[in-house]
Amino acid sequence: MGTTGFVFDERYLQHQTFNGHPECAARLTAIMDGLAGEGLLDNLVQIAAEPANQRWIEAVHNIHYIMKFEEACMWGLPDFEHQDNSICRETYGTALLAVGGVLKAIDAVMSGEVKNAFCAVRPPGHHAETNQAMGFCYFNNVAIGARYLQQEYDIKKVCIIDFDVHHGNGTQHIFDTDNTVFYYSIHEHPSFAYPGTGREFETGFSTGEGFTKNSPILPGRGDEEYRDKLLNDLVPTFHEFAPDAVLLSAGFDAHVNDLMSGTNLSTEGYELVNDTIFELISSTTGGKVVSVLEGGYDLQILPVLVANHIRKMMTL
Amino acid sequence: MFVTEMMKTDLVAVNPETKLSEAKSLMEDGNFRHLPVVDAAGKLVGIVTDRDMRDAHPSSLLDEESYQKTLKMVMQHTIAEIMTKDPITIAPYYTLQDTLLIIGKKKVGALPVIDEDGQLKGIMSTRDLLRAFVNIMGIEEPGTLLCILVDERPGQLKKIVDIAAEENVSMGSVLVARDWDTEKRAIFPYLLTNNVISIKKKLLARGFELLDPMQWYLDQSPKKG
Repeated sequence: MGTTGFVFDERYLQHQTFNGHPECAARLTAIMDGLAGEGLLDNLVQIAAEPANQRWIEAVHNIHYIMKFEEACMWGLPDFEHQDNSICRETYGTALLAVGGVLKAIDAVMSGEVKNAFCAVRPPGHHAETNQAMGFCYFNNVAIGARYLQQEYDIKKVCIIDFDVHHGNGTQHIFDTDNTVFYYSIHEHPSFAYPGTGREFETGFSTGEGFTKNSPILPGRGDEEYRDKLLNDLVPTFHEFAPDAVLLSAGFDAHVNDLMSGTNLSTEGYELVNDTIFELISSTTGGKVVSVLEGGYDLQILPVLVANHIRKMMTL
Repeated sequence: MFVTEMMKTDLVAVNPETKLSEAKSLMEDGNFRHLPVVDAAGKLVGIVTDRDMRDAHPSSLLDEESYQKTLKMVMQHTIAEIMTKDPITIAPYYTLQDTLLIIGKKKVGALPVIDEDGQLKGIMSTRDLLRAFVNIMGIEEPGTLLCILVDERPGQLKKIVDIAAEENVSMGSVLVARDWDTEKRAIFPYLLTNNVISIKKKLLARGFELLDPMQWYLDQSPKKG
């Protein structure tokens, strides 16, 4: 059994969204309180975050987009590119720190300091496109992490598993034509849920054809459908791809209590997601994985699900 | 919305004397399924579809030699011999709704759009029509679909729109199923946001019922009576 690293930084609370916005600083406070209450924090190796070097942001995002985002924050604008993307002056710095936290977690796993790591970061990232902010996301934390693994550690094949209830359009599009990154997403069906992409027939383009896999879940459905899809869609494609490294886009908003979505995954259902994914990871990378927080907006259930997720990581 | 906004206008047309060989390569190169036929004055005189072209082809069951020989002969014929003369056309002032109904009724795949002088202005195909409806539904923009059950009485939609406005959220489209249930309507606003929590909470607080979308998704037909 290896050690599990944990990324959190008080400065992640500085990205303030408008009053009533679901992607709020209280999410992380709730997670920290929950982990402390469960006595988990003491058993995790704290990994210090620092702002990512801009060259890593540029590994995924267009420089003009990066500058436009920084400028919007400096001007003190209320939102960036859509009213969903609520910002403040500190948002840019916080977003850099979120990416930086993920990169530090990757360093810790790659150096063997920890077996795996969970990143309690915000703002989230999987909706962020190369040149567009979307759905509360500005920099695509996980996509940048994948590029970092490839360029800094010479990792050939990265698999990103995304179980946020929303499809990670940004991540999918960034690697659409890339056969070195396999993107798997399980999410609420795009005819009902944001962002309206992630249909079964979206499988990648040209050289990336077949390196994207989507499992849409119809609203009202839950544990059983998740189990079926993970077993039939994820397991075989994951083995076929045989990744050298795995990153998780960990969203906890598919839970029945989370009003953001229409799916009815139970707390036990989330355990099943954890079990399936971590079993795959154990069998390929020996339990090495970096899991990155995306969504999850119900402040009561979020800390419970994160604690369960981390507890499972600690057994790998 | 009028057809002029969605129809294809960069047209490739042929004339009645065009050889089948030329028309065939035009269709293949441009990936067209319909080729309008115009006279020297630019007036529409007919239309040729990929189906007409296939009908003109020799049977695929022929052996290679006979096939090629027949094909060579066939390809020397002119468009005038296989085109549909005086096809069903529509005018530039036709709406998308008109086109939707006429395409369904006449079972054609495309409609040439001609002006009062018979000049060809464009072609409206089922593909263009589908694109128009994707646009109308706003489903290429990121958003979330809500399914709300309301009582069948005036002013209900206003309340929903008011809530969206209070939350500063735009709508991509709104569909209303009028015959949902006795004395009920189902309203499906497509909200251009990821942030639906406060809207859902307000809807519930103001007495609306959020439908399980699966009821609608699986039995498309309204359950009347």
